[in-house]
Amino acid sequence: MTDSTSVRVESRLETVLVANRGEIALRIFRTCRRLGLRTVAVHTDADAHAPHTRAADHAVRVGSYLDIDQIVAAAGEADATAVHPGYGFLSENAAFARAVQRAGLVWVGPPPEAMEAMARKDHAREIAVAAGVPVVPRGEEAGFPVLVKAAAGGGGKGMRVVRSEADLAEARAAAAREAAGAFGDDTLLVEKYVERGRHIEVQVFGDSHGTVLHLGTRDCSAQRRHQKVVEEAPAPTLTQAQHDLVTQSAVALARQVGYTGAGTVEFLLDDSDGAAYFLEMNTRLQVEHPVTEAITGLDLVELQLRVAAGEPLGLRQDEVTFSGHAIEVRIYAEDPYAGFLPQAGTASLVRWPAGVRVDHALESGQVVSTSYDPMLGKVVVHAPDREAARRRLVAALDETGILGITTNTGFLRWLVASEEFRGATVHTAWLDTVALEPPSADLARICVAWVSAMLAAGHDAGHPFQADGWRAGAEPAPTVVDLDRPVVVDRRAGTVDGVAVREHAAADHLLELSVDGHRQRAVVNVQPHRADVAHRGQWFDLAPPDPAAAHGPVLSDGSVASPMPGTVLDVRVAVGDAVEEGQVLGVVEAMKMELAITAPVTGVVTSVGAEKGAQVPLGHLLFEVEAADA
Amino acid sequence: MAGDSGVGVTRATTSIAGMTVTTGQPTTAPRMRDLVAELRERLARVRLGGSEASRARHVERGKLLPRDRVDRLLDAGSPFLEIAPLAAWGMYGAPGDELAVPSASIITGIGRIAGRECVVVANDATVKGGTYYPMTVKKHLRAQAVAAANRLPCVYLVDSGGAFLPMQDEVFPDREHFGRIFFNQANLSAAGIPQVAAVMGSCTAGGAYVPAMSDESVIVRGQGTIFLGGPPLVKAATGEEVTAEELGGGDVHARRSGVVDHLAEDDAHALRIVRSIIATCERPVQPSLERAPVEEPVEDPEGLYDVVPTDLRTPYDVREVIRRVVDGSRFSEFKQLYGETLVCGFARIWGYPVGIVANNGILFSESALKGAHFIELCNQRGVPLVFLQNISGFMVGKDYENRGIAKDGAKLVTAVSCSVVPKFTVVIGGSFGAGNYGMCGRAYDPRFLWMWPNARISVMGGEQAASVLATVANRPDDEEFKRPIREQYESQGSPYYSTARLWDDGIIDPVDTRRVLGMGLAAAANAPIADPSYGIFRM
Repeated sequence: MTDSTSVRVESRLETVLVANRGEIALRIFRTCRRLGLRTVAVHTDADAHAPHTRAADHAVRVGSYLDIDQIVAAAGEADATAVHPGYGFLSENAAFARAVQRAGLVWVGPPPEAMEAMARKDHAREIAVAAGVPVVPRGEEAGFPVLVKAAAGGGGKGMRVVRSEADLAEARAAAAREAAGAFGDDTLLVEKYVERGRHIEVQVFGDSHGTVLHLGTRDCSAQRRHQKVVEEAPAPTLTQAQHDLVTQSAVALARQVGYTGAGTVEFLLDDSDGAAYFLEMNTRLQVEHPVTEAITGLDLVELQLRVAAGEPLGLRQDEVTFSGHAIEVRIYAEDPYAGFLPQAGTASLVRWPAGVRVDHALESGQVVSTSYDPMLGKVVVHAPDREAARRRLVAALDETGILGITTNTGFLRWLVASEEFRGATVHTAWLDTVALEPPSADLARICVAWVSAMLAAGHDAGHPFQADGWRAGAEPAPTVVDLDRPVVVDRRAGTVDGVAVREHAAADHLLELSVDGHRQRAVVNVQPHRADVAHRGQWFDLAPPDPAAAHGPVLSDGSVASPMPGTVLDVRVAVGDAVEEGQVLGVVEAMKMELAITAPVTGVVTSVGAEKGAQVPLGHLLFEVEAADA
Repeated sequence: MAGDSGVGVTRATTSIAGMTVTTGQPTTAPRMRDLVAELRERLARVRLGGSEASRARHVERGKLLPRDRVDRLLDAGSPFLEIAPLAAWGMYGAPGDELAVPSASIITGIGRIAGRECVVVANDATVKGGTYYPMTVKKHLRAQAVAAANRLPCVYLVDSGGAFLPMQDEVFPDREHFGRIFFNQANLSAAGIPQVAAVMGSCTAGGAYVPAMSDESVIVRGQGTIFLGGPPLVKAATGEEVTAEELGGGDVHARRSGVVDHLAEDDAHALRIVRSIIATCERPVQPSLERAPVEEPVEDPEGLYDVVPTDLRTPYDVREVIRRVVDGSRFSEFKQLYGETLVCGFARIWGYPVGIVANNGILFSESALKGAHFIELCNQRGVPLVFLQNISGFMVGKDYENRGIAKDGAKLVTAVSCSVVPKFTVVIGGSFGAGNYGMCGRAYDPRFLWMWPNARISVMGGEQAASVLATVANRPDDEEFKRPIREQYESQGSPYYSTARLWDDGIIDPVDTRRVLGMGLAAAANAPIADPSYGIFRM
């Protein structure tokens, strides 16, 4: 890009408001700043001090990232000349695009008409058919299994897999009810269900001068409940014929709707027969655009801005070159080993890997809430070939440490290191079928113990009671580090709980150790009352338990006596009843207080020495519970 | 300034002033190393604790070995100044069985817990069930005395069957027997010195009072028991059949009796609770000793192996020792030209100021007067005293007696006795006769007293004792008469004989002298220093 073109972009756009938050806002600002454009952020109260708010030249408070009027007003207030929607929020909202344009601002996105055309799945399908793009067989010709889904749908609502004719009617009825409830529209689609499919997509770009290009393919098959977790470019398993089919189809479709700007055409590739079917078109920049940027060397946000400014792309299809392989992982605040539940908390320490692209908006000390999308950032690697990129990514995730809040980083690291991912055999349903094993803390514990002992050794140096383990007439004692359990570290001998350990590097929270001969890396944060470590991406909190919080159940003979003299208000069990420890057996009233009498152990009630309304003295045997064998 | 006396040994300039005596004794060098090797080997043996089978049984029950308990109780990497690890060495067993009751079945010492120096007392149940032998009692009381003098919180890790019944007459009734433990607990607590107990095993009979007398206590569920009479005694007394857990287990005492305050799931949990308790205890507002940045000695302490002759009759300059113990090898000598057989002066050890009193020959009237003066100086200035003891005694003979060496010696003893600053004694050679008194022997309450492995201690030398007794018995030349006396003195003068009986706080490697003094000083800094006052100095 020459200087003269950047002057032109600047002249039309000058000040760009990004109607978004988090890493995507930062990423768009980055390109704007490089092109000499002013940046405007919008932020909610919760994001008043968020990284994107601080990064912009100007920041305007809004009540919601979804409030079209407020955002357009913010653009006016900040003298913005263009609006970039990012992804998510209002990025595919044609009404927003129109409101922006009505306000005399440049909309950095496709024409609202194209957005609308692609917004409905059934409509998009018709356009695809018209453009000669293959679509998933529907109705009679589909054959079983089929997918019954809401035409207006999304997010899996109103979707059902039906494997035989017999179940179809019932499934339709149920899906229709669900669709009506969720979308106010009970129109259903019935189409071929692909058991083992791959999610293939094509990045397309159009300008207002009639050029439509594709920027290659991406494979986003690694998904969990339809949520992409790993994306790569180019799609690694496509044959030349498949590649040609999807890229040509994507360009044809974009032309059909007069598309300009960045768009993505998604296909489902049937692993069983290699057939590719059009799924949908996303009329925005995608989360995974960095992998395409990596292999093409293009800045997609810059291209969006140029197209929005009315410039030609200045690129012919044969000038688009592809080099190497890129993989991206999405880091979410969620716990893969607890049903992928979203996590909230304070990221006490954040350490991103060096030497690879990381698009993120997460810093040490930042509070992560569940108010917004739980994506914290993306790690993107680029290497000459897929295997090199994959190894690079594993190494980068080993150096990634998000401490203080549970993320899926450890899960991603496991996934990328897996045989299935290495062999590129991951299909879209695979992750939902595989049993996830929570990683063991053993190596993490060794790492954090080693660092703790190292820090302890420097404690109060120069004082006679300095922490050097001194013993009279003997070698220094090994250091006992109290973590989730005591760990014995012998720094001189190089052992942790007897396992041979050798330190290679320890700086800036990054530790590199050989443990039993195997090289390990971990991000470690040891502070008073804190012992956090990320090993292979997984965060472990190994601080010792609160000593006052660990009282176990009483060792009881199972008898329950009245704790006070009083009146029996209620008897809730009878002899022979099975009860759980803590279950209420009865209630005694004394001194104007109602005391719940609970089972001391789990077992069977063997005697009941109380009846409702009876007066009982202190120590009266109320119940006996015989403990069930553990 | 090094005032070399021209005996042909030229030394590198050091800041220690005074006479330099030739110390070339190459033949003795290996002996000190041998003595240290023997010491380390003996320490290693007692630190194993009870028999292998007994230790295995202990661990199988899910219990930590007592030294592991201590290591886990202390802060990560804390040093541990163990008190009398070789107590009961050679006692209570068949002749030649030195390890009948290793460490007197109790581990005592000072380490850091929650950042502050504490006294730890841990029973070793792998040795005779952790029962109290006479030396066990003495060692327990000694640890409490250390706590009292230095105002250090006490942690008792209890795992003991109580008094060793066959020796009840030497354990139970007297002033400084078992009962004194609880007397001390009450009075330490009264003085504001925290008393914390963790019951990690048996805690029977009198022992039950250790947790009961503590300010705060912990018990390990399913493992610790506290009762005045165990199940066999209960059955004998009342016919009641009861399990130990029902009688006095963790749940009983934490939930019903209130004898303990905290219930722990296992040893590690109990130790964690103890640490959290100590963390809540009030700290001394300001240390009583100011501390400068520490400096290593210029002269390598390892040189002590070579410069100190182990044959007590061989004279050497004690400044050779001092310069290998003190910060920067710097020593400001007092009255260098007067009473030269007693070297006095100021220095720092681990940054703490100290006044050093070191023998450099027999004590004469002048040296005793000089010592008394110097001790008064240190008390005036609040400077702790370090005695380096290597003394065969005061000079004897008509001239000296007639000139009143006894009253000059008495002045030194008065000054030592009434001294209020922390005192530390290291017996680096002989400790004989009244020299032991003037140089702050055990009777003079030094905060700590350590011995080097070459040290000897007795009222007089074996040869002299044999001669005196032979003369009294009118058998002056009877070798048969003298030999057993010499042998008795030889055996009883050994530092191992001494340390077995708690006459000292341990035999140390000379190279560790500086470290133990530093730790002793750091411990002492926890207690305020009183104003000095003295008895009558006989003039």
